[in-house]
Order: sequence, then C-alpha cells, then structure tokens
Amino acid sequence: MITLENVTKTYKNSTVALRDANVEIAKGEFVFLVGASGSGKSTFIRLLNKEETPEQGHIYVAGKDIGRLSGWKVPYLRRNIGCIFQDFKLLPTKTVFENVAFALEVIGRPRSVIDSQVPAILDLVGLGHKSDSFPTELSGGEQQRVSVARAFVNRPLILLADEPTGNLDPATSVGIMKLLDRINKTGTTVVMATHDRGIVDTMRRRVIEIDRGSIVRDQARGVYE
Amino acid sequence: MPVKFDYLVRETTSNLGRNVTITLASIMTVAVSLALVGASLMLRSGVENATKRWQGGIEFVVFLRIDATQQQIDSLGNDLEESPEVSKVVFVDQQQAYSEFKSLFADSPELIDSVTAEDLPPSFRIEPVNKDVDAVEALGLTYEGRSGVDQVVFASKTIRLIQQLSSRLTVGIFVIAAFLLGAAGLLILNTIRMAMFARRREIEVMKLVGATNWFIRVPFMLEGLVQGLIGAFLAIGALAAFKPFFQKWLPSAQDIPLVGGFQVSGGEMTVIFITLGIVGIAIGAIGAGIAVSRFLDV
Repeated sequence: MITLENVTKTYKNSTVALRDANVEIAKGEFVFLVGASGSGKSTFIRLLNKEETPEQGHIYVAGKDIGRLSGWKVPYLRRNIGCIFQDFKLLPTKTVFENVAFALEVIGRPRSVIDSQVPAILDLVGLGHKSDSFPTELSGGEQQRVSVARAFVNRPLILLADEPTGNLDPATSVGIMKLLDRINKTGTTVVMATHDRGIVDTMRRRVIEIDRGSIVRDQARGVYE
Repeated sequence: MPVKFDYLVRETTSNLGRNVTITLASIMTVAVSLALVGASLMLRSGVENATKRWQGGIEFVVFLRIDATQQQIDSLGNDLEESPEVSKVVFVDQQQAYSEFKSLFADSPELIDSVTAEDLPPSFRIEPVNKDVDAVEALGLTYEGRSGVDQVVFASKTIRLIQQLSSRLTVGIFVIAAFLLGAAGLLILNTIRMAMFARRREIEVMKLVGATNWFIRVPFMLEGLVQGLIGAFLAIGALAAFKPFFQKWLPSAQDIPLVGGFQVSGGEMTVIFITLGIVGIAIGAIGAGIAVSRFLDV
C-alpha cells in the first residue's frame, strides 16, 4: 500500500527531516511512528499526502509513484487518504454535520450521498446526537471524533494521523484509539505519528522509530522504546 | 468534475459580502476608470463623425465686413461663382447667421437678446475644386485683401485643431484611466486575497480532503469577475445617463463654422459599452488570476 525507497527530504534551512528512508507498509496494517519532536514523523506523514515532495527516492502510494504525479492529480490521491491532526482542523462556523458534509461536498458528491453517508458515519463515531452542534460546543475528544468522521466518510484506503491524541487526556485518547482500531479492522491502512507511550505499549502494533531523520527501528508488535 | 452552480453562487456572494467596503472600493475604481475610457472613446468617435463631413471637400469661409455694401457682396459672389477653382458657393446672410446663432445659444437667451442680426457678419461658405490644403489656403488668401472682406477662415485649420485637441485629450484620459485600471486590478487582487485569508481554514480542509484546484479557485475567480463586471455596468449606466449632456456640451454643428455635429450613434455606443464590459471582466480576471495563482498555493 505504501512504499518508501531511499527517500530523503531536506528543508530549505538545510535541516534533514528524513534521510534515506526505506519502508514498506502493507494494506490493512496499523503503524505507529515514534520519535522525539522534530525527528521527522510529521514529514513522513506529509510526504505520503504529497504536501511535501522528497529530494531523492520514490514514494509509492496505492501502487502509484506519487513523485511523478502531476499537480492536478494530487487531489485525487488525497481522496484516497484521510487525515486527522492534533488540532482537529474543524471549521468553527459549521455544525458537526456540515463539517463532515463539507468533505464530501467539495469533492463533488451529490446531495443524496451526503444525506445518507454523513449520519451513518456520525453514528459510527458515536456523535449521531450531536450533528447540529458547533465544534466549540464539543469536548476535545468529541471534536477529534468529528475529525475522524470527516477523514473516514469518503472510505479512504489510508488514514494518516499526526498526533491525534496530543491534545486529549488518557481516557479520551483510549476512546479515539478504539475508533481508529475499528477503522483499521475495516481494511483501512492506518499510519499514526505519536508521542503517547501508553497507547503504543498497550496496542502492540508495528512501530517505526525515527531519530533525527533516520529510521532507527522497525519492529512488529513493538513498544514505545 | 462539475462544480455545482448553487455552491458557486453561495460561495461567491458570501466572499463579496465579507469585505463590503473594500469590494465597493474596487467596484467604484473600476467604474470610474471605465467611465473615463468610455468618455474618451465617445469623444473620439464624436470628433471622427464631425470631421467625416469634411471628406466631401475642405472648405473655407469668407467673412464679410458688417458694413460691406451690397455692391461689394454681389461682386465677390459673382467672382466666386465664376471662379474655375470653386465648385460650390453658399451665401449666408445676416438673418441666416442670426438664426444659426439663436439655435446655438438657445439656452442663454440674454446673449441672444444682446445680439441682433446687424451685429453678425454675412459670409460665403466655399467648397473649392482642388482640395489640397495648400491650394485651398492659396485660393482663400486671394480673397482676403478684397474690399468688404473681413477675414478668411480655413476649415482645415479648425479641423486640425479639433483633431489634435481630441487626440491629445484621448491620450491624456487614457493614461489616467490606465493608472486607475491598474489601481482597480490591485484592489481586486487584495480583496480576493483578504477573502482567501478569511477562508484559509476552509481552503486548508478542502485541499486536505482532495477538492480539485479549480473547485477551490473558481469562487475567487468569480468574485473578481463579478467586481469587474459590476464596475463596468456602473460605468455603462453613467455614460448612458451622461450621453445627452455630453452631446449638448460638445460644440454643435453651428458652433464651429462648417464643422459637422459631434454625434455618437447608437451603434457606436453599443461598441463602446461592449468594450467597457470586456475591459471590466479582463481587469477582474487579471486581478483574481494573480491572487489565485500567487496566494492560493494548492
């Protein structure tokens, strides 16, 4: 599903964010990216989404070399990739329903699809009863559930999560992880960057550790360190 | 991927409504600059139409002294009629001159009251055979020294003066209009940039979930186009309202001897209006295009 071949990414201030990375992630895998702040976890995620482009190496996502993808095809790549973030990135002026519907609307899905899919996905994340609330009226955990719903409503092949529990307390984080686990069980590949030792140690999934841009550990059913 | 019409209408109107004051500023700048362009185009086609009448023959006028005797007038008239170099002679007596004067100054009766037919000189309007400017001038000057003649006025000089004046005016107005259009384009660019900034979160999410570049761009492009178009409509409305006044304000047929009227026909007005519409849309599109390509990094 995801392959990195000798990928190197250097930023303009000559910081090496990723050095000669080689990774292979199969369909349906659940992968944790761990490492200190600034180690290159976010760059790894952003490369998969083509928000960044590597200097060297090749990245294959769903069988396509995304380095060779022309600009106008990038949106179509992203339709296969759901994203969630530490800061949720919800639109404060839209309700929960509208936030999720927006993701379908802007890729041209018809109203009928929106009206059937959005309530279903909100039920899945346990927020069916809050669809008319605004994000500011929700707790952090609930906001993250909305953002998961938005990322997953289009049934992407891959879910990228950049520290999704970074702003949440441990109990709420467990709820979000259960949700991601459920999404993973539907066959969606999940790549999650995290600092949360407890989560990594409990879930016992594949762990890739990055240290100053280099992959120093790749362990099946691993722990945080 | 089809971009839905109701989505576009909703997004574009909300963008325009978000920054009402700066949107109005850019629309007004577009309107003023296009009105200037339109006015100078009207002036130009008015002058063209006025001077078009001269293509039949460059003419000159021999103004007689007010105290010229009937004998002097008849003698000059005969000479002109018989001259092989003159193809047509029209005598304008004091009464005719006075009636032209009256129609010319119809809106200032006190001026008409202060002038009588006896104050106005009679004149001969002459169309020569040889219409070469120098030949006309040479011919005209032969009548200047004759008894009873006050002065000879050459239409060619008048026309040249009008043409020169109008072309200079047109160039001047166009330069000002070009600067204003530039300002309008920059204002539109900034309005759109502000709209983008106001909606940066939505744009971020749109990129994230895979909205196409055009889907994100089109509402902003439309915003620029709408501003340009509304500005053009305002300019067109102003010119249409201004046209009767413009027609009155310009010298009429009688004002400058032997110059035709400064009429601008309906067809020419349509062409001018279409031009303004196109320029307005172009300014909007350029402003929006730069904003979209520079500040919407998709």
